[in-house]
Amino acid sequence: MLIELNQVIPEPIPKEMIERSEVWGTQLKIEPKSFTLISAHSGKGKSTLLHLLYGLRKDFSGEVIMDGENIQKQTSSGWTSLRSTQIALLFQELKLFPKLCARENINLIPQLNQNAPSELEMAKKLNMEGFLTKPVETLSFGQRQRIALIRTLRKPFKLLLLDEPFSHLDQENIDLASSLINEIARANQATVLLTSLGETPPLSFDRILSL
Amino acid sequence: MKHSFSKSSLNSCLNVSGPKRELWIASLGCLIGSTLLIIAIQFYLDTSSILKDREVPKNYFTLNKKVEGGALINLGKNERTFTSDELDKIKALDGVKRIGGFIRNQFPLTLYIWPSGKVGLGAAAKTDLFFESIPDEFLDFIPKNWNWNKNSEVVPIMVPKFYLDLWNFGLAPSRVEYPALSTEAATGMPIELFIGKNRETTLSGRFVAFSKRINSVLVPANFLKWANKKFGQPEANDFFFLWKNGSIEGPPLTRSTLASLREEPEFKNWEISPLENPADRSPASQVLYDKKKRAGPSRIILEIEDNPSSSLISFIQQNGLEINREFPEQDIIKKATQAIFLGIAVIGALLSLLSIATFATSFRLVVARASEQAKNLLLLGFSHGQISNVIFTRFLTLFLFILTGSVLAGYGIKSLLLKLAFEYGITLQSGLSFVTIAYIVLYGLIYILINRIVIKNSVNKLLD
Repeated sequence: MLIELNQVIPEPIPKEMIERSEVWGTQLKIEPKSFTLISAHSGKGKSTLLHLLYGLRKDFSGEVIMDGENIQKQTSSGWTSLRSTQIALLFQELKLFPKLCARENINLIPQLNQNAPSELEMAKKLNMEGFLTKPVETLSFGQRQRIALIRTLRKPFKLLLLDEPFSHLDQENIDLASSLINEIARANQATVLLTSLGETPPLSFDRILSL
Repeated sequence: MKHSFSKSSLNSCLNVSGPKRELWIASLGCLIGSTLLIIAIQFYLDTSSILKDREVPKNYFTLNKKVEGGALINLGKNERTFTSDELDKIKALDGVKRIGGFIRNQFPLTLYIWPSGKVGLGAAAKTDLFFESIPDEFLDFIPKNWNWNKNSEVVPIMVPKFYLDLWNFGLAPSRVEYPALSTEAATGMPIELFIGKNRETTLSGRFVAFSKRINSVLVPANFLKWANKKFGQPEANDFFFLWKNGSIEGPPLTRSTLASLREEPEFKNWEISPLENPADRSPASQVLYDKKKRAGPSRIILEIEDNPSSSLISFIQQNGLEINREFPEQDIIKKATQAIFLGIAVIGALLSLLSIATFATSFRLVVARASEQAKNLLLLGFSHGQISNVIFTRFLTLFLFILTGSVLAGYGIKSLLLKLAFEYGITLQSGLSFVTIAYIVLYGLIYILINRIVIKNSVNKLLD
């Protein structure tokens, strides 16, 4: 998916942040099938950018164009369709259902990604196969983060948005998760935007942008 | 792309507890309201059907001349009949469609009614009675065995329904020898008809129907015509004293004898007086005029276009007539039952409206309580429709359960009243009618639609 940001400035954001940013207030084009790392400290608008691309925030100036379509003209049902078939977002706060078990959470998505392996295979790749039947509320944040990642990757997508996906993972699990992301995103021929607090995950990024 | 989620997972993550007290109140209100509506509709239909069958058409009236004064005065009974001139005038009045005269028996009549079902068995109810007949087209219905001919063994008799009620609720409880009678039992009673002052002739009769329209004891017109001709005393009460020069001349004479004397040169100076009241003298020529006057019926039934016209009312007032609606209490019963059922329907509708409002509020609260989960599902790409469907299904299950309960309650109450009605001789169709079911389906659809819109709007407001 081709993404074009044309002088996009979210509200409210300090003027000096805009001047130093490689994203806000610029003419930015993110090519299809590319991997982009958005690196910044807290409070610079990493989540804002992803939420804006996911249609959750409309309080910005400028234009965001996705595959030639201005997202400001997108209807509510249009966003529902995009979220169920075109865009997948891993929220920083995960948005899991604590009373449901891990497997139920993974499968609670409107459409299934045909390129994704089964939930068991994916869980095995992330050392989570023993936790599939456990209620999410009993899991640690790191375990929950991996369950949320599996759920995100099992959705169909052309644009994958990952908001600090490794914040609570150790290096071994970061490597495993990065490998799974790489495998499925490539299979989907998707554009990937990943945010981090400064560290660079073991993925081959086409571009690293600073906010 | 295929679906991944299981509906049970979707349901369970949106399964928040609703406001229990409000849901109980709404459910109870819905149950009572729906049941009242079902009962009101069903019994309105039932009573309308019964009253329609038995209803006096509003445009039928009877007319007779007023009877005034005490019994002694009326002993010298001048027949209060309608002359052919009067009948012609009434027929020509504005709004009068047709008229028919009541014919009365002209012979003494005594009835022996055998409630045991067999002549000679047990006690008979004995009464002097009268018969009348009217043209069949004025009857509220033509009973099955209403036909009579000279070879018939039984004379069919139709009496007002309230005669049977008087028997059952008045006579029977006060006399051990008289049993209470159902309509079927009453029509099976043999009746002996004794004709003549000394009961010279005996005929058999049967009650064949109970009229709700005509307040009289009716027999077929051809029977009465035949019986009057055969047993009648056309000149009974028609004897006069002849007065010549201030004193009575000879024995009483019949009207026809007097009429034959009209060519006598002194006829115009003679006077006559009725047998019952010898002092009431009038010119002899009056006998000819009276003959004309007595040709008509004493009571007539008329069909009018609508309510009595002003010309009919003024004619009635000017000529000292009485107008009667037969059994006007039918109207009162109809209005009373309609008022009762309207009242029930209004209470039912109000309760239903309140329950709709309470359900709507409760399910808005359910959506609000599930809003966090619902928002997360929307973020995952589920549509507003998918989420509102889950909550709506929850409402629908509850509502259909309540509505089924209402239908069963309505059916139960109807069955109970069916038995009660049967004891009073009223036959109702069992179960709920198609029309009631159709109204309930329509009511259910409206109820469902309103709540569907409320739930949908509440969900649509999420993530906007």
